[in-house]
Amino acid sequence: MIEVKDLSIDLGEFHLKDINLSIGDGEYFVILGPTGAGKTVLLECIAGLHKIKQGEIWVNGDDITHLPPEERKIGYVPQDYVLFPFLRVADNITFGLKEAKYTKTEIKERVNTLASLMAITHLINRDTRSLSGGEKQRVALARALALSPKILLLDEPLGALDLQSAKYLRLELKRIHDELGITTIHITHDQTEAEEIADRLGVLNMGGLEQVGMPDEVFFYPGNEAVSDFIGSPNILECDYCNSLGQGLMEVDCGGLRIVIPHDGNSIERISLFPRDIYISNTQPPGPHMNRFKGVITEIKTSGTTERLSVKVGDKTLQTEIPRDISEDMDLIVGKEVFLILKLKRIKVYECKCNHNESKKPS
Amino acid sequence: MSRLLKGVGGDRAFKGATISALVLLAIFFIGIIVSMLAYTDWDTFISALLSEEILFAIRLSLITATIATVIAILIAIPVAYAISYAKFPGKDLVDSLLDLPIVISPVALGAVLLVFFSTPLGNSIDDNIMKFVFAVPGIILAQVVVVSALAIRLLKSTFDSIDPRYEQVGRTLGLSKARAFIKVTLPLAKDGLIAATILTWARAVGEFGATVTLAGATAMKTETLPVAIFLNLASADVEKAIAVIFLLVIISVIALFIMRKITKRRYQI
Repeated sequence: MIEVKDLSIDLGEFHLKDINLSIGDGEYFVILGPTGAGKTVLLECIAGLHKIKQGEIWVNGDDITHLPPEERKIGYVPQDYVLFPFLRVADNITFGLKEAKYTKTEIKERVNTLASLMAITHLINRDTRSLSGGEKQRVALARALALSPKILLLDEPLGALDLQSAKYLRLELKRIHDELGITTIHITHDQTEAEEIADRLGVLNMGGLEQVGMPDEVFFYPGNEAVSDFIGSPNILECDYCNSLGQGLMEVDCGGLRIVIPHDGNSIERISLFPRDIYISNTQPPGPHMNRFKGVITEIKTSGTTERLSVKVGDKTLQTEIPRDISEDMDLIVGKEVFLILKLKRIKVYECKCNHNESKKPS
Repeated sequence: MSRLLKGVGGDRAFKGATISALVLLAIFFIGIIVSMLAYTDWDTFISALLSEEILFAIRLSLITATIATVIAILIAIPVAYAISYAKFPGKDLVDSLLDLPIVISPVALGAVLLVFFSTPLGNSIDDNIMKFVFAVPGIILAQVVVVSALAIRLLKSTFDSIDPRYEQVGRTLGLSKARAFIKVTLPLAKDGLIAATILTWARAVGEFGATVTLAGATAMKTETLPVAIFLNLASADVEKAIAVIFLLVIISVIALFIMRKITKRRYQI
């Protein structure tokens, strides 16, 4: 168990203020926050890379606040992985083992186990400078896990990867975590990443921990304005009617909007969808008319590089989000008629606890 | 004037001006070397080079410069590391002070050393521990004082270019601060370290001002290559002086060439 108590630190550009956090054994904890929030500093404090003058850090009942990093037994994967360029992949992985005076047989066994766990056996003799981003990440993970640490710290582990690799490695991280059961702290600014991977997450903003909770709790019930500003409020639609179409599909009616959702369970009480998961188009999109609606823009709000639009569809108003440059290209103005496409996979379903809705359970 | 330098024509004029300066300087250096070549009588050159005096100067220069370089680099590594990474009050002042030997005339440095050895403390060191004044150890000391500042400057730029996160990762992998320095930072600094060593050595071989002031210019005793040039010019033996100048030029060119090959990058001094 990791406990951070009243931790404050000021490094000039970055600072942390009164951080209190408790992370359970084996938990996959994500620290989410915008750039410059102090996420890396918090991770570095836990790793022992900063002198702490105010606050304490405890691991499994031991005060490690002033313990040097080499005695903490914490695995650390920094941003951009920081592999040693003067060593081959295998020597990067065995770096800590050699220092800890493991025997040659033990080192060989450990490298083989880690290489197969990370699926990098074929890279073992390569120069680290010739690896792709995803490969580097796996090597950095193997290096951090070599000494069998109790805690693993990951600083934006997917930040430098292309979308496809990031998506794949996200699943891999979860798999490795489940396999080893190691307490993991993962920091990111990416909400989708946080939502998909976290057991629990904490939102860090301007050096302060704003909210800690299960992903659903944080995303759908932001604790304060800072969190909701960063996360953005989801569209929550109450369902008046719900009907199973078979083959794992369910049709719901939310205030006149008929939506088909992949769902194979009890009837649905409400659904939610983040603004970023609703596409907007000037023209009627081709293909089946499922989950596409015509509406009129009623409000446009600019926030940084994105624009948040309110679109009235029937009686309902849906919030959607779009990068500013794309919005400008599309000439989106209040009163304009547009088409909305709901991203099917991102629709979140809340099942009904009672069974009052008209429903037909799939066989 | 500023109007003239605007647009495509202005770009060309600027490019032309900078390249002309480069070409003029190159022609000047080549001209000097060619004039030396024209002046040299090759038979005399070879016999001068193989004379007992010059062979002594070559040997003495190589030995003293090598020892001085080892000492200077051993001093420069921790000092440059401290300036690059450590935070302490008055760091900027210390940093500037360490640059003094680069900007102060070597003769002045030699004179300062000479004055030190005339104080009671310096005298007792000179009498009881090791003889520096007008002796070979004096040559090494003079070279160390002059070149260590250069070594520090070069190594500092090397350490500055190394991301401290490498060392941090090393520490999370179980290395103490000192071990992380040896196992992580030094291997990362390898190229810079080799480049600094070669440049420092080349500078030590060519050191004259401080050497001649502290160790004197005694033929066959404290006669390094630059001192040999001075002594031979003073006795109007120009051929011998030119032979030594050639040798110094060749040593410098080889040193610079090797350094370029190893590092493939320029260092700002």
